Amino acid sequence: MTSTQSTVKPSSSLRTVIGQIWDVARLPVLALLTAFVVGALVIWVSNGSLLTVYDAYSGLIRGAFFKQRGFTETLVATVPYIFLSLAVAVGFKAGLFNIGVEGQFYVGAVAAAWAGSAVHNLPAIIHLPLALAAGAIGGGIWAAIPGYLKARTGAHEVITTIMLNYVSFRLAEYFVSGPLKDPFASAVQTPGVSREAELWTMYSIPERLQVFSNALAVGLVVAFVAAVIARWALKSTSLGEKYQDPNRRRMIYAGAGLLAGLIALFGLPPLTQLWWPFTDPYDRMHIGLFLGLAAAVFIWWLLWRTTLGFELRMVGANPNAARYAGVNITRNIVLAMAISGGLAGLAGTIEVLGVSICRCLPLFFSSGYGFDSIAIALLSKNDPFGIVASSFLFGAMRNGADLMELNSGVSKYIISLIQALALLFVAAPSVVRWIYRIRVSRKPLDEETTLTRSWGG
Amino acid sequence: MSAITDFIRNTRRSGLGRGTFWVTALFALFALIASWFLLNLVIGGKCGSACVVGTLSQMIRLATPIAFAALCGVMCERAGVVDIGIEGKMLMAAMVAYGVNLFTYQMLLGMTDPATAATISRVLALVLSLAGALLLQILHAVVSIQLKTNQIISGTVINILAIGLTGFVYRQFLAENLPAGPGTFPIIRIPLLQDIPVLGPIFFQQKPLTYIMIILVFVIHYMLFYTPWGLRVRAVGEHPRAADTLGIDVYRVRYVNVLVGGLIAGLGGAWFTLEAVDVFNPLMTNGLGFIGLAAMIFGKWNPFGALIGALIFGLGSSATSTVSIFRPDIPSQIPQMLPYLLTIVVLTGVVGRATPPAADGEPYDKQ
Repeated sequence: MTSTQSTVKPSSSLRTVIGQIWDVARLPVLALLTAFVVGALVIWVSNGSLLTVYDAYSGLIRGAFFKQRGFTETLVATVPYIFLSLAVAVGFKAGLFNIGVEGQFYVGAVAAAWAGSAVHNLPAIIHLPLALAAGAIGGGIWAAIPGYLKARTGAHEVITTIMLNYVSFRLAEYFVSGPLKDPFASAVQTPGVSREAELWTMYSIPERLQVFSNALAVGLVVAFVAAVIARWALKSTSLGEKYQDPNRRRMIYAGAGLLAGLIALFGLPPLTQLWWPFTDPYDRMHIGLFLGLAAAVFIWWLLWRTTLGFELRMVGANPNAARYAGVNITRNIVLAMAISGGLAGLAGTIEVLGVSICRCLPLFFSSGYGFDSIAIALLSKNDPFGIVASSFLFGAMRNGADLMELNSGVSKYIISLIQALALLFVAAPSVVRWIYRIRVSRKPLDEETTLTRSWGG
Repeated sequence: MSAITDFIRNTRRSGLGRGTFWVTALFALFALIASWFLLNLVIGGKCGSACVVGTLSQMIRLATPIAFAALCGVMCERAGVVDIGIEGKMLMAAMVAYGVNLFTYQMLLGMTDPATAATISRVLALVLSLAGALLLQILHAVVSIQLKTNQIISGTVINILAIGLTGFVYRQFLAENLPAGPGTFPIIRIPLLQDIPVLGPIFFQQKPLTYIMIILVFVIHYMLFYTPWGLRVRAVGEHPRAADTLGIDVYRVRYVNVLVGGLIAGLGGAWFTLEAVDVFNPLMTNGLGFIGLAAMIFGKWNPFGALIGALIFGLGSSATSTVSIFRPDIPSQIPQMLPYLLTIVVLTGVVGRATPPAADGEPYDKQ
């Protein structure tokens, strides 16, 4: 039964897969570890007791995972990190350093707050995507401006995006306290978005699925995802060796999709009773996590499986070669910034539609995700799946920081310190290599060095 | 040798050249007249001569940290090292200056009279704040010169590190239950010169760091363009390989320049807590380090040009505060955006294309 024209790749054993992951992840993991050790030293020196170090780190872990709703809160904090660091990574891949994600986050938030509250009584399957799109487009346009300026006039994006950050903070402030202000609220904030535009929390899902159009939409989405997973499973793993016939394969995709869709349509309400976020009204976990995972897969697909992604990476790796090969540099730079800004805008959108208590944009909006996400993107070497993992880690650190401070009296800014050190160790790998006596591998350091170029362009 | 002289001739051409002093003077005159007209246009003729002089004096004051940041940028980038960590170093220096000022004063109070204690603690705070900035800059220098890491990444690391460090110290030691501090530096009035009408109150009734800034602009300009040292620095920034061939120690030049740049950034940071206000809060530098970089690019990597750039931004902020006094109906956020938008306009090359030093941002590999 051996087929000579088999296109199936030889399946790799678990051991080699783990080996490969370790090869890639070794440096970031060691960098983080070293950063935590240095952080412990700082705590020890500033408080004079090793017990404080234990209190701090155990508080961090308890706060991030084991306190009530700790784990889901970590997931809530993970979502904006995923989107923002994907945004930074897309920029890096195209040779652009988008420090402006924080500003694009704000513009996206304003756009979403407006789109969510401007109209009412639309069905959720229209209004929610509309509000998400508004945020993405707002952030995308905001980021496309520095992209265009970079491509056309050479204005370096590092400075223009930082300047636009400050402009967008003021702009958001202006909109929230001026044109978009809710006249009936006591606090300075925009009106809350209508219920149809809210991002679904886990708790609200059983109730929302009672609306037929919502249930149908969920069924379709789940069916699509299942079909994509089935396709991937047959193409890239040893499962596919049995089914070489293309028609047979299509049947399998369709069957998997149909089955999953039907389960989602009829089985989801009872299934939701099994996991506590669905039944706890105070749990803030929302479906943004799934959007984030989808975004990571989408960006991976875009960058490594499409012509556009190839061109973006080419412009990032060597703009001169790209120009010589007939790639339109201006178009690609603007597009890369627009995609990057769109992702950042989505992060702001999700915070407004799904996390903020009033489901609106208040005057003082929690932030500080921007610089962290640069660290995440660098730490993960711009790999979308590495980003998901690092975002989870950073989300856990952010979420656990409060209990750490409460537990040990150590300021939660120590987290930023640890993150900066981890970033430093990743940016200057020779330090980590020297500490742990790792030899430089013979493999070429593929795209590691082409993160961003200096003013000269 | 001809390779180097060629490069120098090129930089001369791209810089503002010998007439820079007159350019600066003309700009000052222009700013005076233009701001008078513009201000009165917006606020309806209510800004008299005292108000204009006040606005321009404020312009110099607010330009000080931006000019320091820009000078730090000039020092680093003329030697071929991009430094976007100025913001972080200023934040660090501001925090150190505030803390040292406060606690030294408390220690000294029992020993001497309050006036002497205040002077000593302010000077000590200034010195130690420079040390704080220098510490971060050493990191930047080692990582970007020795380890040849991407300099923009290294600068970002410095910025995040500074946010973490200052925030940590602030929360741990400086947030609450603070004793009264000695306050900021007093205004120093320069005898005779301060009595010149209009120019006197604008230029000669300032606080010490502002004077230091103005002197530094002259000194650095002279050093860069009229001394052998400056020739070497510019050679290293334009063509390190050629400089190396001629026996210039590229690493040494870069180290010296980057570290001196760090000290200058420290002066800019000390301005926040030793000259502007007597409090420290996290993120108080508010992007002025980056605006300084824009001023540097505006000034074409030239100290006098950088000063002009800084003055324009200073004028932008001081004029907006004057406007907001007379016209409270304009939403304050709109004029607050102007300096940042101005930066972007400057960077797009409306005022002429700026060419950075040729080897700017490129790590040098010794062979």
